Amino acid sequence: MKLRTLERLTVLFSWAAGLLLLSAVTLLLGYLFVKGYESVNLALIFGEAAPLRAILLQERVFNGLFPAIVGTLSLVILSIVWAIPIGMATGIYLAEYAEPRAKRVLDAFFDVLAGIPSIVIGLFGFSFAVFLHKHYSDRIGPCLLISSIALSFLVLPYIIRTTQAALEGIPRDIRLTALALGATKLQNIFLVLIPKSLAGIMSGIILAIGRCAEDTAVIMLTGAVASTGLPRSVFSQYEALPFYIYYISSQYADPAELMQGYGASIILLLLCAILFSVAYGIRKGLTHFAFYRP
Amino acid sequence: MKKFSLVQLVLIISALLACSPAFADSLAPFKGEKGVLKISGGTAHIPVMKEAAQKIMIMNPEIQISIAGGGSGVGIKQVGEGLVDIGNSGRKATDEEISRYQLKLYQWAIDGVAPVVNPQNKVKELTKSQMIDIFSGKVDNWKMLGGEDRNINIYTRDEASGTRAVFWKKGLDKGPITPGAHVVVSNGAMKSAIAQDPYGIGYVSVGHIDETVAPVALDGVVPTIQTVQEGTYKVARGLYSNTKGEPTGLTKKFIDFLYTPDGKKIIEKRGFIPAQ
Amino acid sequence: MKKCRELVAERAFLLSALASSSITVAILAFMVFMGLPLMRQGGLYQLLLKPWAPYQGSFGIYPMIMGTGAISLLSLLFAFPLSLGCSFLIGSIAPKPAGRGFRRLIELMTGIPTVIYGFVGIFLLVPIVRELFQRGSGLCILTAALVLGIMITPTMTLFFCDSFDRIPRTYLDAADALGASPVQKLLYVILPAAKNGMLNGVILSLGRAVGDTLIALMLAGNAVRVAESVLEPARTLTAHIALVIAADYESPEFRSIFACGVVLYLFTMAVTFLVRYLSFTKDTTV
Repeated sequence: MKLRTLERLTVLFSWAAGLLLLSAVTLLLGYLFVKGYESVNLALIFGEAAPLRAILLQERVFNGLFPAIVGTLSLVILSIVWAIPIGMATGIYLAEYAEPRAKRVLDAFFDVLAGIPSIVIGLFGFSFAVFLHKHYSDRIGPCLLISSIALSFLVLPYIIRTTQAALEGIPRDIRLTALALGATKLQNIFLVLIPKSLAGIMSGIILAIGRCAEDTAVIMLTGAVASTGLPRSVFSQYEALPFYIYYISSQYADPAELMQGYGASIILLLLCAILFSVAYGIRKGLTHFAFYRP
Repeated sequence: MKKFSLVQLVLIISALLACSPAFADSLAPFKGEKGVLKISGGTAHIPVMKEAAQKIMIMNPEIQISIAGGGSGVGIKQVGEGLVDIGNSGRKATDEEISRYQLKLYQWAIDGVAPVVNPQNKVKELTKSQMIDIFSGKVDNWKMLGGEDRNINIYTRDEASGTRAVFWKKGLDKGPITPGAHVVVSNGAMKSAIAQDPYGIGYVSVGHIDETVAPVALDGVVPTIQTVQEGTYKVARGLYSNTKGEPTGLTKKFIDFLYTPDGKKIIEKRGFIPAQ
Repeated sequence: MKKCRELVAERAFLLSALASSSITVAILAFMVFMGLPLMRQGGLYQLLLKPWAPYQGSFGIYPMIMGTGAISLLSLLFAFPLSLGCSFLIGSIAPKPAGRGFRRLIELMTGIPTVIYGFVGIFLLVPIVRELFQRGSGLCILTAALVLGIMITPTMTLFFCDSFDRIPRTYLDAADALGASPVQKLLYVILPAAKNGMLNGVILSLGRAVGDTLIALMLAGNAVRVAESVLEPARTLTAHIALVIAADYESPEFRSIFACGVVLYLFTMAVTFLVRYLSFTKDTTV
């Protein structure tokens, strides 16, 4: 009889927990949307500038999110460009070439890298930029390039892990067919194994993009500023959506600016929601341990 | 200050001589310029910097001006290290800093640092010794000061802040600030923190005070830009822009702009007193 | 020719593997290198156990370590029961389609940007906490821990679900054959068998809570004193790095944030190796 109570309590407790989490997150997002939906319009993004002219870079946007959105996009693209080749190559090495012993050691390294708090990576990027500035060139300081490199460190483990897991998940018969037909190991990797595991690799890349888009701690130390306009080159400072939200949350000057913060949050949220649904949509049998990141 | 009066004089005269629309004139030197200007440091300066930058960038799209905060200490260090072109500070750079980085100081406005509370708070007047007791943590309830029976939430700035340095020196007579105080990162953040916390007290640049926060009279003098100008409110300070060595090119033109009539108009509009 | 290409490719793969793993080492080396002068000067003891009082020449990070500990452990306290319940729901209690839908939803929740939790926390939760307890400013350990708890719950839930999924099919079949109800199966078969994996999930979530910057920075008030109650403000190691970052590159303040970096790094390493050790022992015993 006593056990029955325990079982019933467990069921009750589980539903309560699920409901609590759901309502907490609904409250969080609902509050954001109810407060902010009015601010989401073209003026939020382009300010007083004409949208088409702004996109064609004929007109500068002030008081709009356009520079922050462009900043975030360029940041994401650059970071991914650095992270994909190295990450995939490392994943291939781990899955196809590494001996068990080497693999175990390298695995440990990437587990640690995956766990390093993003602010520590940001601190590393910042001090590295200062180091370069002092010893090599006056032109280098915290900038888009440094941020994107630091961010690529942050997402490297995602790409390595997903590539590795996708390759290792390929069944033996597929793995051996091309080899039996006389293909070299390299041909097998590029013509059979990678195309076969593309879905898994892609989901890792999309998750990495999501991480790059939302991360604030790295960029606040490595070159994101409150106001600068569109980034001119990889050596310039830039605006970014998450940093803008952080900035507005603590130092909005008037209610209108605060509303922009709500608007920016909604835009960032939608961006991340789309990326994550796509990633999970194409994900095939990968565990969350691969995506773990503080 | 005397050093720069000549520059100002020339600029004012040239502005007066050319009688075309005002902004076009003050902005004329920026024609044909291009490049990037990086500004960081003092957070009290940001509204003025932003508006000036926007005016300049609209006139000449080839120019890009980036503005970051960080606090006065950061501004001085970063300009000294060459990471930015202009480092703002809400306090005068120390002699050690000036000689170490060969800084050139340009004071373009006068400002004060005012204690502020939430407008809902009934306590709008304090003596200096009460202020010292509050910030040291000795007086920790608004009831002891004639307000509600609620704990006093103290807000302060980080170590890099010039506003903090000035308030600590002139407002608190170098009395201790309790480590239990909340720490915020800029004048803007201080203002919005106090605006949201009915039981908070902090200090902010006088130019930043608006209807969302209420200034606290210190020894009977309400801190406003007038009392600062008259000299009756004592916790006053200059707003500086610092460069490493003699400024050139865009950097010089930007600083010069702050001394033009249009620059001064922006400074006034943002609640400061343009330097004479 | 062909062989040569094979060799070059293999070398290239090896090189990238070495390069990316060297990042891990490079970060630690840099932190230690930058923080070393302070550690040598003041001694490790001074650094780790002294208060932060720059005007008195004391640059200890003790209050930040305590702040990090308080906020992350408290958030774990909130997140653990929530995650447990949610993973029970997904694992066996909820009807299968509902459970799957719920799991999808939770996966999506892991994608909510941290800065948004902080943003809403400031404007929604802070005033509530302030008025509810009639004390303090609302920017405090409790607020930060609540939001952090909600943030790590989805991740922790997924870790738990994963460890449920890894239980050998035979165990479950045996329970089914004995006529166990889903709840009984959960309580007497799945839970004991998944204990180790769940411990891993808790440890990894703790790592995540400790490593988070934005929520503590935005919601915890950042005071540099060891708080006496959860309604007082506190500063975490991560927030300290974000706040002090911009100081002079030669100053002891700036050096001290590298000490924070080293502490955070070593903590990460401890978490990683603990998890690896636990997974290893589990693999050998099962």
